[in-house]
Amino acid sequence: MKDVIDVMELQREKTRKNVPIDYKSLDFNNGFTPARFIFECGIKLNGQPLTLATAAVIMHRFFREVDHTNYDCFLIAASSLYLAGKVKDDSLKIRDIINVAHNTLHRGSNPLEIGDEYWNMRDAIVQAELLIMRILKFEVGTIHPHKYLLHYLRSMEGWLGKSQWETIPVARASASFLQDFHHDPSILDYNPRHIAIACISLALQCYGVQLPLIEDADDEAWYNVFVKDLPKDKHWEVMEKIMEVYNREIE
Amino acid sequence: MTNKLNKYEKIEFLGEGQFATVYKARDVDTDNIVAVKKIKLGSRQEAQDGINRTALREIKLLQELHHLNIIGLLDVFGHMSNVSLVFDFMDTDLEVIIKDNTIILTTANIKSYILQTLQGLEYLHLNWILHRDLKPNNLLVNANGVLKVGDFGLAKLYGSPNRINTHQVVTRWYRPPELLFGAKQYGTCIDMWAVGCILAELLLRVPLFPGVSDLDQLTKIFGVFGNPTEENWPGVRGLSDYVDFKPFTPIPLKSIFTAAGDDLLDLIEGLLVLSPIGRRNCTESLKMAFFSNKPAPTAGPKLPLPQSLRKAREAQKPTLKRKLLDKMEGDILAKRLVF
Repeated sequence: MKDVIDVMELQREKTRKNVPIDYKSLDFNNGFTPARFIFECGIKLNGQPLTLATAAVIMHRFFREVDHTNYDCFLIAASSLYLAGKVKDDSLKIRDIINVAHNTLHRGSNPLEIGDEYWNMRDAIVQAELLIMRILKFEVGTIHPHKYLLHYLRSMEGWLGKSQWETIPVARASASFLQDFHHDPSILDYNPRHIAIACISLALQCYGVQLPLIEDADDEAWYNVFVKDLPKDKHWEVMEKIMEVYNREIE
Repeated sequence: MTNKLNKYEKIEFLGEGQFATVYKARDVDTDNIVAVKKIKLGSRQEAQDGINRTALREIKLLQELHHLNIIGLLDVFGHMSNVSLVFDFMDTDLEVIIKDNTIILTTANIKSYILQTLQGLEYLHLNWILHRDLKPNNLLVNANGVLKVGDFGLAKLYGSPNRINTHQVVTRWYRPPELLFGAKQYGTCIDMWAVGCILAELLLRVPLFPGVSDLDQLTKIFGVFGNPTEENWPGVRGLSDYVDFKPFTPIPLKSIFTAAGDDLLDLIEGLLVLSPIGRRNCTESLKMAFFSNKPAPTAGPKLPLPQSLRKAREAQKPTLKRKLLDKMEGDILAKRLVF
């Protein structure tokens, strides 16, 4: 569907039934399942949003390089969280990660006793961490779209005007789109600045925001003040990719 | 991965730190001499926390940094449960140079060292990175007189307004008063104080403030600069570990650094300022008259080398006697007078 993004689909109130997910019963789903697991565990662990984004990126990059059927995706997810905590100086303690991951996989179970099972998990996470580092060739630094998103939104605050900015949650929605896009490995395929723009575009469309002082002409896109190298079809492509994530949501 | 292991040929053991062992090695492909830092992983299960945070910081930061005066991370490889970092090989460091009493440090030499330090540090700060552990021992120097800032185990990104940092950084003698008073939010000024202390040490050949405890450290600092007040350091009393000290009378720097010229004293005065916001940053310091005045900084290859290194080099070089003997053997016919 070229040139038409069905934002109605996003606007439709999805009935959020907060049923705990039984991860063990899910398949890999092109990385969606471990990503969902990273965010659930990461939020429980009180990790910073950037730490969780780093963990998701590390996990997706790992599975790009290997055959996913050879690895336990929840182990790799837990290990990615642990590594991301170190990379982002947002220390997530290994014992907390083990307990949270274990409880998320086996809902309602008690914290692990310090025994063989605990030590085996700890050993597995540490070994997997080293494996991930090697597979990623020790390149663990990531350029996130977040910082671009922040600066674009800052500039738009003045563009839209204070009253409109405060009544329409454009910033909040863009940030949510960005976080949710981390469930899909295609986040690795696009320029972080382009991703930031696509997230804002989606938010603007969802709330039907018309930017002032700009003609809606074909040759001049609103985001050209921020990025010069984003053709229209690429822009659509990224937006569609972000929207596709919601179709994969666990029913 | 296996070929990486054979890519570096161990030459000799260089040293051992808390987290790593360092070897001098040869890159078999390029014949370059490198330093391989092998990170120790806790072998006992209790100690297993995986990849060492210090090593990870070095890997993450140094992979993105490229500057003549910053140590270069050439390669990283893993073997079994080890991680090894490959760095530029550096022959010595400023601590060795300062302590070597056979070396004379002229103003031109000092200018060269401090210029290179500031250039490396300016690059770091412009990339939003604090070093947090500057000391002579971490300023590495190679035989060509190139100085590189090394050891990024405590380095960290700065600038996030809500980020709380630990004040337990920087080796005590080079730690600025705000950290000793417990400041948890800070910026580039903590590195600038350390540069001031290093510059002083290049002149004095002993540490300027060799405190034996955190309180003694502050006593030594205030013994030179006088006590901090709300006038010369607004907000000092609000710091968490602030305590009043008995009154000190400031000593003019001229009487401590008797051999230093006015332009050099100006530079020190801009760095060693009690109030963190009063300190000059790298870019400002580099623009000071000291760096454009005569004498010019000593060219790298002309900088002095420590005694141990000179001896090692002389042992490698053929001696004059040997040279003469070689010549005689080679040119024996030509030199002989034939009647």
